[in-house]
Amino acid sequence: MIDFIQNTIDGVMIGASYGLLALGFTVIFGVMRRLNLSYGPTIMIGAYFGTVLYLHFGAGLLAVAAAVVVGAVISGIYVERLCFAPMKAGAGIASMVSSFAIWMQLEQAAVLVLPRHTYPFPPLVTGPALEIGPLLVRPDHLIMLTGALLLAAVVQLALYRTRFGLGLRAVIANPIAANLVGVDVGRLVVLAFAAASAIGGVAGFLVLAVDQQVTPMFGMWATLKGLIAMMIGGLGSIPGALLGGLLLGVVEVHSHWLFGPQVRDLFAYFVLFAFLVARPGGLLGRTIDVELSHRA
Amino acid sequence: MLDLQGIAKHFGGVRAVDGVDLTVKRGEILGLIGPNGSGKSTIVNLVSGLFPLTSGRILFNGDDISDLPSHARVGLGIARTFQNIRLFGQLSVWQNLWVAQNSRLQRQEMFFKRWFGGSAGVQAEIGRTLEFFDLAHKRDELAANLSFGEQRRLEFARAISARPNLLLLDEPAAGMNAEEVDQLDARIRKMRDEGFTVLLIEHHVELVMSVADRIAVLNFGRKIAEGPPAAVQDDAAVREAYLGTR
Repeated sequence: MIDFIQNTIDGVMIGASYGLLALGFTVIFGVMRRLNLSYGPTIMIGAYFGTVLYLHFGAGLLAVAAAVVVGAVISGIYVERLCFAPMKAGAGIASMVSSFAIWMQLEQAAVLVLPRHTYPFPPLVTGPALEIGPLLVRPDHLIMLTGALLLAAVVQLALYRTRFGLGLRAVIANPIAANLVGVDVGRLVVLAFAAASAIGGVAGFLVLAVDQQVTPMFGMWATLKGLIAMMIGGLGSIPGALLGGLLLGVVEVHSHWLFGPQVRDLFAYFVLFAFLVARPGGLLGRTIDVELSHRA
Repeated sequence: MLDLQGIAKHFGGVRAVDGVDLTVKRGEILGLIGPNGSGKSTIVNLVSGLFPLTSGRILFNGDDISDLPSHARVGLGIARTFQNIRLFGQLSVWQNLWVAQNSRLQRQEMFFKRWFGGSAGVQAEIGRTLEFFDLAHKRDELAANLSFGEQRRLEFARAISARPNLLLLDEPAAGMNAEEVDQLDARIRKMRDEGFTVLLIEHHVELVMSVADRIAVLNFGRKIAEGPPAAVQDDAAVREAYLGTR
């Protein structure tokens, strides 16, 4: 029983990192309906910005965090300009395929800069795990969970309570009408990509500071986990993204404990599969915004 | 204020608008009428920048705006409504107006207020607009849940909330009953009194005859008459376009 509770706690902590990654995905894919496969790799590029600063200039934790976010935002805007801005609305497949190409490009760029497979990443906090009765909780895990909750609240507020979020939702509901009431659609989409990448940067920094290492494969890992967590949670729902991440983490840790590391990912995909079959909208998914249009 | 100089729009071989000169003066209501397919809506779409001109120029307050994107034209003070309603369905009534507000008032606001719901001034202005269109009691309703008539009024209100110098109304009376048309008539007059300039595209000839200061008539993409309502009504070419030759 103690094991079960301990595993569930660990799962929630791991799941917080998936939830963090799913947040940015929700803004780009769940809300804006643009499938950006390069999302994870842009975070990875940000992480390399931070690692280079850490290795060669001995930068402190805050400077590394800032570098990760800035690097992710720059490469996020790069991807938007290259893969999404030139494509007409409705050419979603073309954008997705080109974002796959940029994924490869970013991964190769990272390998060129730092050719070894693994590099160290500065730890968030050092020190022993907190003991709560018979249970153990890592302090950096707690920080990550808190970060995930805070970030989700900020994103939720930004989407539903600010002019920027309203503008974004107006663009999604009806791009032509949004343009004709004076919203600069192109500029708003770039801003949204930049914001999503900044969220990804924060997520990536927290995850890597807990892992204390970074590899070029982090991009693929982030895209996969973020995408799965978002789809379990429900397209377009911020609380759903968080919840989906937590559920994914809990399932992974329990299956790891019960059946070993080989079947861990198998269970993750099985949960996704089960949701797609039984509840394609995800945990908290909603119907998408529909354009209002009447024949006069 | 608005000066169309020989504007034309061809869709393949179809000459939807074929060399039209038209001037809208400050403070007037210019009615644009014509049979189906005569190019009225195409002119609104060209002025609001929905698609590019084939030839000609569009001047606004003396500046050539032919190549400006739509949102920049709104910034200069040209707003429009749609014949087919295009609201933001999942936004509430007041949020639909807020998104459209990019008036001087909005730009002067402090960053924080501008992004988090607007100052008392912005809220008051939204309140006044909703009052004027009899929508104040639906302030927090989602636009998608409004009745057809309410959606029409909200779309009108959204165009006004940008505080435009020039308002393009594309068939505002479409689908309205007699009572609603009377209310619309009264609102358009009141807006002229408040200093709006209006280009009114309308099928409902009675409404146009009633509110317009001047009327231009299109047929097959060309202007066939222009003048005060009474003169246009008696014009031989206009009668021919609407009723056919005897």
